[in-house]
Amino acid sequence: MDAFGDYVWPRATSELILLPVTGLECVGDRLLAGEGPDLLVYNLDLGGHLRMVKRVQNLLGHFLIHGFRVRPEPKGDLDSEAMIAVFGSKGLKVVKVSWGQSHLRELWRSGLWNMSDWIWDVRWIEGNVAVALGHNSVVLYDPVIGCMLQDVPCTDRCTLSSACLVGDTWKELTIVAGAVSNELLIWYPATALTDNKPVAPDRRVSGHVGVIFSMSYLESKGLLATASEDRSVRLWKVGDLRVPGGRVQNIGHCFGHSARVWQVKLLENYLISAGEDCVCLVWSHEGEILQAFRGHRGRGIRAIATHERQAWVVTGGDDSGIRLWHLAGRGYPGLGVSSLSFKSPSRPGALKAVTLAGSWRVLAVTDVGSLYLYDLEVKSWEQLLEDNRFRSYCLLEAAPGPEGFGLCALANGEGLVKVVPINTPTAAVEQKLFQGKVHSLSWALRGYEELLLLASGPGGVIACLEISAAPTGKAIFVKERCRYLLPPSKQRWHTCSAFLPPGDFLVCGDRRGSVMLFPVRPCLFKKPGAGSKAITAAEAPGAGSGSGGSESVPTGIGPVSTLHSLHGKQGVTSVTCHGGYLYSTGRDSSYFQLFVHGGHLQPVLRQKACRGMNWVAGLRMVPDGSMVILGFHANEFVVWSPRSHEKLHIVNCGGGHRSWAFSDTEAAMAFTYLKDGEVMLYRALGGCIRPNVILREGLHGREITCVKRVGTVTLGPEFEVPNLEHPDSLEPGSEGPGLIDIVITGSEDTTVCVLALPTTTGSAHALTSVCNHISSVRALAVWAVGTPGGPQDTRPGLTAQVVSAGGRAEIHCFSVMVTPDASTPSRLACHVMHLSSHRLDEYWDRQRNKHKMIKVDPETRYMSLAICELDNDRPGLGPGPLVAAACSDGAVRLFLLQDSGRILHLLAESFHHKRCVLKVHSFTHEAPNQRRRLILCSAATDGSLAFWDLTTAMDKGSTTLELPAHPGLPYQMGTPSMTVQAHSCGVNSLHTLPTPEGHHLVASGSEDGSLHVFTLAVKMPEPEEADGEAELVPQLCVLEEYSVPCAHAAHVTGVKILSPKLMVSASIDQRLTFWRLGQGEPTFMNSTVYHVPDVADMDCWPVSPEFGHRCALAGQGLEVYNWYD
Amino acid sequence: MGRTSKDKRDVYYRLAKENGWRARSAFKLLQLDEEFQLFKGVKRAVDLCAAPGSWSQVLSQKVGGQGSGQVVAVDLQAMAPLPGVIQIQGDITQLSTAKEIIQHFEGCPADLVVCDGAPDVTGLHDVDEYMQAQLLLAALNIATHVLKLGGCFVAKIFRGRDVTLLYSQLRIFFSSVLCAKPKSSRNSSIEAFAVCQGYDPPEGFIPDLTRPLLNHSYDTDFNQLDGPTRVIVPFVACGDLSAYDSDRTYSLDLDGGSEYKYTPPTQPPIAPPYQEACRLKKNGQLAKELLPQECSINSVDKLPQPLAIHTLLDPKVEDNEIHC
Repeated sequence: MDAFGDYVWPRATSELILLPVTGLECVGDRLLAGEGPDLLVYNLDLGGHLRMVKRVQNLLGHFLIHGFRVRPEPKGDLDSEAMIAVFGSKGLKVVKVSWGQSHLRELWRSGLWNMSDWIWDVRWIEGNVAVALGHNSVVLYDPVIGCMLQDVPCTDRCTLSSACLVGDTWKELTIVAGAVSNELLIWYPATALTDNKPVAPDRRVSGHVGVIFSMSYLESKGLLATASEDRSVRLWKVGDLRVPGGRVQNIGHCFGHSARVWQVKLLENYLISAGEDCVCLVWSHEGEILQAFRGHRGRGIRAIATHERQAWVVTGGDDSGIRLWHLAGRGYPGLGVSSLSFKSPSRPGALKAVTLAGSWRVLAVTDVGSLYLYDLEVKSWEQLLEDNRFRSYCLLEAAPGPEGFGLCALANGEGLVKVVPINTPTAAVEQKLFQGKVHSLSWALRGYEELLLLASGPGGVIACLEISAAPTGKAIFVKERCRYLLPPSKQRWHTCSAFLPPGDFLVCGDRRGSVMLFPVRPCLFKKPGAGSKAITAAEAPGAGSGSGGSESVPTGIGPVSTLHSLHGKQGVTSVTCHGGYLYSTGRDSSYFQLFVHGGHLQPVLRQKACRGMNWVAGLRMVPDGSMVILGFHANEFVVWSPRSHEKLHIVNCGGGHRSWAFSDTEAAMAFTYLKDGEVMLYRALGGCIRPNVILREGLHGREITCVKRVGTVTLGPEFEVPNLEHPDSLEPGSEGPGLIDIVITGSEDTTVCVLALPTTTGSAHALTSVCNHISSVRALAVWAVGTPGGPQDTRPGLTAQVVSAGGRAEIHCFSVMVTPDASTPSRLACHVMHLSSHRLDEYWDRQRNKHKMIKVDPETRYMSLAICELDNDRPGLGPGPLVAAACSDGAVRLFLLQDSGRILHLLAESFHHKRCVLKVHSFTHEAPNQRRRLILCSAATDGSLAFWDLTTAMDKGSTTLELPAHPGLPYQMGTPSMTVQAHSCGVNSLHTLPTPEGHHLVASGSEDGSLHVFTLAVKMPEPEEADGEAELVPQLCVLEEYSVPCAHAAHVTGVKILSPKLMVSASIDQRLTFWRLGQGEPTFMNSTVYHVPDVADMDCWPVSPEFGHRCALAGQGLEVYNWYD
Repeated sequence: MGRTSKDKRDVYYRLAKENGWRARSAFKLLQLDEEFQLFKGVKRAVDLCAAPGSWSQVLSQKVGGQGSGQVVAVDLQAMAPLPGVIQIQGDITQLSTAKEIIQHFEGCPADLVVCDGAPDVTGLHDVDEYMQAQLLLAALNIATHVLKLGGCFVAKIFRGRDVTLLYSQLRIFFSSVLCAKPKSSRNSSIEAFAVCQGYDPPEGFIPDLTRPLLNHSYDTDFNQLDGPTRVIVPFVACGDLSAYDSDRTYSLDLDGGSEYKYTPPTQPPIAPPYQEACRLKKNGQLAKELLPQECSINSVDKLPQPLAIHTLLDPKVEDNEIHC
């Protein structure tokens, strides 16, 4: 933002960078993190919380930070001041900071020193720095004045892939270099006879079969660890490296990563490695894996830092997330699996089922009909009852609640259900419900007021039993309240049940994968006017074990709302209500967020569990407010956290088909299962909360392919966001209302993310992610942006409809609502609801035996989307916009969105381009006394642009849309109104702007680095004859046309015409360039080098007159720029 | 996704397999030749970073006529043998490799040097771009030893942030430098080819393989970092318009004529670095995390302990200095 006068405005400045974290270092209780060229300093307190102290901006110019070296202080006082050498790529800079309690001040910074070659390692040598360079040379550099003191190459000038400098004086300086030949070269720069005389390597060590990416030397034990492309880590006994000629012995070869290993770090007792597989492994020096940290997403972990005093490991990922993990040593304290020693001569029979009543009582039933209790405090088995009617087939379920209400239920193959109070089994009550087998049992609990037991019998009938206890606690009462009936299916029984708050409905899931709602009090449901409290007191003590029940309720009440086969044929496994939403899990590896609106179930979002967890068995809310998913991953039981993407517990139980139970409380979680005829119990203290901390949330794990700004939310002062980035800035709250831009991004990681970008703090908050896509997301479009309360409502918030599209020819439509919420760090809450989806090859999924056939259809990808909002007076089609999609199979497709996005269907297509269509863009032409015309522009890999007049095409009776050959197929769009050959190859960006003269400026950027700008005129032919009825077709023509051939050195992936005089373009060559328009050829104004590589999309928008424009660049990361108009 | 997915997504991948090319990149060289007549009058050609050998395949078929041309392929990795191609397994940064090439040409310099090498990308863009630039410069360095005056040099480039530095460096050695992108190279890929014609080193230049050629850096006059003066060479799209579009997804029955049949890859990789790791993984021999069930812990009966940080501390670590 310096020196405005030197430049032609506007000048873009970077506000926010989200890039892979490539540099991390712990200094005392501070964590240094490199983010692009910026240094972020965080304070770590004992709880492992992280607070950003300061962002030291733009240390390395256009280079990215790859590492830090803090100058060792002889007095060991790094708590108040530190000299930090920051390096990355070819750049080196030294910055001196003072960090008191929480304030950080930059005292001094050196110039940015450009090395002649890539910097692999830097080491402080008595006030100077030694730098290991890319072609195996070492330079001694004075970083204060920026001059080279020594420059010693090795005789072998091979390209290096890593290097490690050892020693504290130039004399003893040792370099271990990882060469492309996969060897380690050890040599001593100080042995050069004269300056610049090459030094021969002292030792060559081979072993790895891939290049070496990282090394770590542990002086105290004389060990060196290397991480390699060959997916292994080797541990070498090297002794004192500073002594020439020492023996190097490979003492460990650790294979544990399933991809390349990027980083390694040796500690006194551990070896930490992390790699492309996103796993950070903690090894002992003997080569055992003590811990594995999983949670980062994407292409791997790029940086490791350790805090040995606190036993913390901090990792930085490609997903730009930073996480803190606890080194626990061998095994975790307080958890483990134990056998409960059930097998005994005194307990005959084989175990049939096991369950948990709370987390400290285990119940088990055997095939001789005996029910046993194991109390973890007493540590012994006790027989509760024996009933041979429950021989051979017996279901066992304990009631929910912290201690299981002290109740459990048994059911047998003859329709008998028995409810047993665990403390007084003699008071058990039984009821014969059905003539046949009881297929399933489940409980539903509402607060402490209402407890129901549901039992599924033959023919899809569910008996609903109401359980109550006498005030003395000595007796229980079981009363059949009603019967429900499930929709017909082959395996017609329910699998789970829960009360829907406030308690008028029961939610059930069934074996067929459907989720449905049943009225809790059917008698009241029919007469909604009746009181609701009256019946709870009406206990019928004499209900007993009568047989009258089954005749008096002949059929059963059907569901009031059903989502048929929501979870597919494998069935629903659980239903949970929390925070106004309903969650269901199923064996289709997914869980759904649902909600009930007007007595009807509506799916909100489908979420996928972690990879490989095909059997999602349940969902729990843990005390810290987050959610954990229970499921089975092959033969393991896994507790997985969707928030941290971490597997919190893994129990090798053998799979989900055996009898198992899970229970968690704040203090502990328990999982019990049967294995080899024995009851096994896994317990973990601390329940499902892990002390691991997400220091900074990651964004997408893979490339971001598209970015779109939705709108702005203005928060009043009551939502004042604490300004963490600049705590010492002098204007607390003086900015007035906080503006927060809401931006959505789509990524190759198949998710769409809703981001909040406050204008004041320069931070980014991921609000929600949508995981409905099965392949990468490549395009986004937004329409119907409004406020939650409608146009009259002035309350802050934002609603919008979003369409996303990508690989496998898949489109999803969803709505986004952002509202203020003071309880979240971003001060916003985001609700997303999935509305509709469309796939071109959907029919394929429905085909039988598809694995035996070859699918000949192309794997079409959608490359770009444009919303075309037609006038509402279109006859016949009803309100709703068109969505135009650029398709990789050479088509431009038009979809119609109806019913506010709930219906999406393919309307028309054209194969005019015959090549992969890369971009579509729509705009309207408005002229006085003329109809508003909607024009679509499409562009393909051959560099041509085609313009389509959609208004004419959509008119009723128009001949532009050709009828399809077969009914059910889309219309054919015919030929475009005009084509322009703008570039020699693919068009990667496209934008238009109406001019004051009533024309349109069209700008496009191409793969060949060129820009093409022309003026498009839309002319209406004069109505010559009195042919009144015939629709006049406008003529398009090019007025002024300019081309800038070498505007960029690579693909121009973003172009935006900001005004008829100003245009901005962005390219993969990492330049954001402003162009002056309107005076003949576009002329270069200025350009800024940005840091996100492989930029795939750009979006620009004006924020406010004071703030100017913002521009989001998305590629392998995200960067936000702003400039003042 | 089935094994046919890649055939549908990438028509050149499929055509390469069907035509017996070892990699789809064969089409890139063919299309470059269509545009620039690279092979015209060429008797001796060198293929640097040749593995898996698709460019050598093209060269051996196109260079010279009826076996009169000589092709030398150099790579650090082993490569399956190819008829009519002399293979050298060696490092292109070594002088001995240059001498060996000249030896094979009986002392004559080469007419054409091509290099389609790319480093194994790490995903860190700046590292990958640097590594690719070093590969190109190493190829250029060895080319200065073996290329005749007026000869031609074709090498893969990544068009990233610093590609203009490479252009300016190549311009020192060649009278004409162009950036070309064949149709068979995808739009989504940042790769392109520097086609350098008319080898003409600066006066007094002595080829020296003992010293690596280092990248240029930006200067304020001729090649600015963010100013209007940058060395951007003309861009040429190669391959005629009727050629298949590498970004387009084609149906498996291309011409409707012959029925699609899955073809396995022509030449699977030889001894990749991950071979051992994959073998261990296949046999379930990768080191596994010590799960709690394998640790003998009998803590079920212990009183719940708060998971405070200090209980997690390994006493042996506690006294150590911070090691950063």
